[in-house]
Amino acid sequence: MRVLLADTDPERAAAVERALWDAGTTGLDRPGPGEALLRAVARLSPDVVIVDMERPDRDALDDLRHVARHAPRPIVLFIDADDRGFMEDAIAAGVSSYNVVGASLPDVKPVIAAAIAMFRRFAQMEAELRRAEAVLQERTTIDRAKSVLIRTRKLSEPDAYRWLRTTAMKTGRRIADVAAELVTERSADAG
Amino acid sequence: MRADVRLGILRLTDAAPVVLAQAHGLFAAQGLDVSISVESSWANIADKLAWGALDGAVMLPPLAFAMVLGLRGPVTPLVVPAGISLNGNSITLSDPLATPVLEGGRPGPREAARRLARAAAGGPPLRLAVVHAFSTQDLLLRLFLEGGGIDPSRVEIVVVPPPDMAAALAVGEIDGFCAGAPWGVVAAEREAGRTVAVTSAVVPNHPEKCLALRAGWAAAQLGTVTALLRALEQAGRACDDAGTAPALAALLARPEWLGVPAPMIAASLPGGGGVEVDHSTFAAHGAMAARPEDARWFIRQMARWRDLPAGAEAAAVACYQPQLVAALR
Repeated sequence: MRVLLADTDPERAAAVERALWDAGTTGLDRPGPGEALLRAVARLSPDVVIVDMERPDRDALDDLRHVARHAPRPIVLFIDADDRGFMEDAIAAGVSSYNVVGASLPDVKPVIAAAIAMFRRFAQMEAELRRAEAVLQERTTIDRAKSVLIRTRKLSEPDAYRWLRTTAMKTGRRIADVAAELVTERSADAG
Repeated sequence: MRADVRLGILRLTDAAPVVLAQAHGLFAAQGLDVSISVESSWANIADKLAWGALDGAVMLPPLAFAMVLGLRGPVTPLVVPAGISLNGNSITLSDPLATPVLEGGRPGPREAARRLARAAAGGPPLRLAVVHAFSTQDLLLRLFLEGGGIDPSRVEIVVVPPPDMAAALAVGEIDGFCAGAPWGVVAAEREAGRTVAVTSAVVPNHPEKCLALRAGWAAAQLGTVTALLRALEQAGRACDDAGTAPALAALLARPEWLGVPAPMIAASLPGGGGVEVDHSTFAAHGAMAARPEDARWFIRQMARWRDLPAGAEAAAVACYQPQLVAALR
């Protein structure tokens, strides 16, 4: 089974490629740099196309009539209407797929499943990275808010933190949000 | 926690009411927690609506019908309780074709198409791009061509993402395109082409984007839908106010929304001064009414160019449900 993999993230693409070989792919292609998806499909005539949902040019694959005019073997959006969970997983992971008209679902599905699994793993890694960055960001904001309080209210550092915590508890908000508001007000005053 | 409403938009001027309602707290004032995702393709909007990752979207009516009829992905029941905008697309051609068309100033759309026919005569077939096969732009471009005696089936109509239009025009991959604002201005600014017609001149006050909601979701939360419509109506009126255009353009220009310089967006807003783009209308001229006759017009235009399943017209008309907006007053 020949697969065309169109992923804008090179690191993820390499990982997905490995997963696809393991899932029984016999041929694997990537679009050339700057090559439109429809053109790559026409040139390579794949059985399955796996596309990163960030790629705007996948709109060109949305109409069978349009694709059939350009590609030797027209492809259609992969749909397994009986397996909503499978389709929802693919979208949550940010991957869409297409296959040759008439290709049988059981043959195609394991290959797509392998790609979904790898996209999902990358999405999780990214989410974790973002969470870690957010935590770091919040800590920085709390530190800045503390220094504002130390300067303007002549509080000690533990008292500044206690002030933030008490305000957060009283107003039912998170300490980081109280801190962010204080820092923003402060910079608005300064500006 | 899941937001009350998850809406999808694309980077287009006519997403303005949704962006403004979010940024100015109009959704929040209705007690709604709305999450907005800016998608990179119409295919994403369609897939996310089909599989429940979005509750609604600022949508191309022909694509909504394609989904309802199962012409694109699985059959997906949708309702259209409101229009989002009227007008707003430009037909932009490469310089060699635009120059003879624009000689002596921009003519009306019929004359522009006649001049285009003369300019293209004897050459290879025209290659013109639209944003999606199931789009208002596809239907309006065909009407524009016919107006000047060009048979649309002899033109190669291809699909190119709006942000790539200017580049495709510049390298000669396409001869022109029909796309929503601000992409006509973007092409002109990059000196890739010039606008020879706007779609409001081809079909005056034509419906453009609509609000499409998953039918099952909408039926189960009528209160939420009504609150959503109320906020969008306020937003639409604000977007129609020429006085707010500079601030609105600055908001839409931000990287998290359109990521296009504000002056290019301002040109396409009500009261904007650009000649390279059409102006969108958001609440005036009954823009928010989801008129069943608009659905009929779209589906009949679609039927001229492709085979539609039996009962397509009735199914399309049934999607349009104007009573919720009418009940806001």
